[in-house]
Amino acid sequence: MHWTKQQGIPLALRYGLALVSVGAALGVSLAFTHFNLPQPFSAFALSAIAITFWYAGTAPGILAAVLSSIVRDYLFESNTSTESRLLFDLVFLVFAFLMTRVARVRNQLELRVAERTAALTELNDNLKREIVKHHQVEAELRLSEAYLAEAQKLSHTGSWAWSPSSGEIRYWSEECYRVQGFDPKGGLPRYEEFFQSVHPDDQARIAEVIERAVRGREDFEFDYRIIHTGGEIIDARSFGHPIFDPSGDLVEYVGTIIDVTDRRQAEKERERLREAQADLAHASRMTTMGELTASLAHEVNQPITAVINGASTCIRWLTRDDPDLGEAREAASGVIRNAKRAADIINRIRSISKKGESKRQLVNVNELIGEMIALLRNEANRYSISIRSDLDIGLPEVMADSVQVQQVMMNLIMNSIDAMKDVDRARELVIRSRREEDQYLMISVSDSGVGLPSEQANQIFDAFFTTKSHGLGMGLRISRSIVESHGGRLWAANNSPHGASFSFTVPIPIGVPEQRSKPSNAHTNV
Amino acid sequence: MSCNKENKLVAIVDDDDSVRGTLQELLRSAGFPSQGFDSAEAFLTSGNQQQTACLITDIRMPGMSGLELQARLNAERCKIPTIFITAHGDEEMRFQALRAGAVEFLPKPFDDEILIESVRAALDR
Repeated sequence: MHWTKQQGIPLALRYGLALVSVGAALGVSLAFTHFNLPQPFSAFALSAIAITFWYAGTAPGILAAVLSSIVRDYLFESNTSTESRLLFDLVFLVFAFLMTRVARVRNQLELRVAERTAALTELNDNLKREIVKHHQVEAELRLSEAYLAEAQKLSHTGSWAWSPSSGEIRYWSEECYRVQGFDPKGGLPRYEEFFQSVHPDDQARIAEVIERAVRGREDFEFDYRIIHTGGEIIDARSFGHPIFDPSGDLVEYVGTIIDVTDRRQAEKERERLREAQADLAHASRMTTMGELTASLAHEVNQPITAVINGASTCIRWLTRDDPDLGEAREAASGVIRNAKRAADIINRIRSISKKGESKRQLVNVNELIGEMIALLRNEANRYSISIRSDLDIGLPEVMADSVQVQQVMMNLIMNSIDAMKDVDRARELVIRSRREEDQYLMISVSDSGVGLPSEQANQIFDAFFTTKSHGLGMGLRISRSIVESHGGRLWAANNSPHGASFSFTVPIPIGVPEQRSKPSNAHTNV
Repeated sequence: MSCNKENKLVAIVDDDDSVRGTLQELLRSAGFPSQGFDSAEAFLTSGNQQQTACLITDIRMPGMSGLELQARLNAERCKIPTIFITAHGDEEMRFQALRAGAVEFLPKPFDDEILIESVRAALDR
């Protein structure tokens, strides 16, 4: 049973339609007869049958045909011959039969249309869903793009795509326009335009970098400057990465342009700060060296005295009545030895007075302590202070700036000497080196002096804090910043029963072997 | 306690090994035997004060200074002709040393002739 439109209509209405349509044909025909017009019932009846078939289906259509036949036979053609009646009945029958076919075809057609409509409706629904999904994806994409644009803006990083074969820039993000100083309304910039915005001094260099990378099918990276139309100069850095198709041909480069002006500026500021710190440290060193002038002069004077003694001795052996060449040679060797010692001292003074960039290298802390003691021994002598060193000779080397570390030692030793100048008890300064746990070396300077100023103990590391009548009060502040810049710590504590200890640590670099594990003490009494 | 000077020993007190050593060599080349001490305390405990005919001493040393050594010897009535050698002597120090009986006060570095003449003069006393 095919689904037909008529099924939706109640049965009574469908059969009613047969009665009504045939009735209407009858009414109209009677009206025609009344006005003496030619009687067209057959034509109206055919229409009624057709309408009924069309709208109400087969059974009501057949009813309409039968009714039409009866009405025509008994009301209009009652006097006609039986053959004529039969002929008309046959015509109605054939018409009804044809109409059943028509109705069936129509029903099939309608069914097909319905099926097609259903298919189209489904397709339409699918499309609608697709469109909704598409809108969602588009919205997500827009959001993601907005996030990306924001990230690019925040990081001053633009992205681009460029085809080396055609030389055409294929993609240029919003941030690229801003960094490179182009107007986004101008569309994708041309490769030449990109180069025109680059500082003239950088053009040739980056052209070469790009060319070399393209030739070698590899990544590139370069720093360059951009001149904006307003004359503003931007420091930029660009990275490019080649993209290949499945057959291995170079398709394009994708990459970034980063505005590093702020970063560069910050680096310059940091550099200036480092220089200022180095200047301050140097000034502080020179102040200390100034305080040491008398001692250092003495320190140099000793070997010079020995040199003169040796030279005089040599001359005496040579100018005797019986010259003794052996003795003279011996004395001359002494001259060389002592002249070298004088030169060493001068070098030591010069290296610590030198103003230069911080240079980190592997240094032996014990050697630095030894040199510092040699330099300051005389200063200690002036105040009858004995210096004792208690060194762990098995210590590994550390990465440090030797001048700066010596400056810290010098500051601490000078402070200790100052603290002992006026005390009556035994004046002893002890310098120790130790391994602190596994990661640090610890160097400490202990004295038997006046101790830390009790009420201001936490201020001693402040700038310009001083208990001395001379000096700027920068020594400990600078020492602490030097130690901290090496990754260590500097602190002070009072000794019992008197005096103070200043200690600092220097980190042991990972992977540096210990020289010897056996700790041993070396004593230098001065 | 007093000291006799029958032996003509020269004592050198200086904490600086190279100065002390070369000074001994210088005196040896001039024909004077000498003995070195790296501190005033070492000299005092050596028991050689009695034989010392001439003392050459540095002033600034860790522990007892040259001037303190001179005062100590004076207090012990052991008057040894003393030559001071110093790298940073000032006038006040020089005056103090000479007043306490020093025979010479020489700044380092010094002329060997002057030193040897002073030693000879001290030994000839």
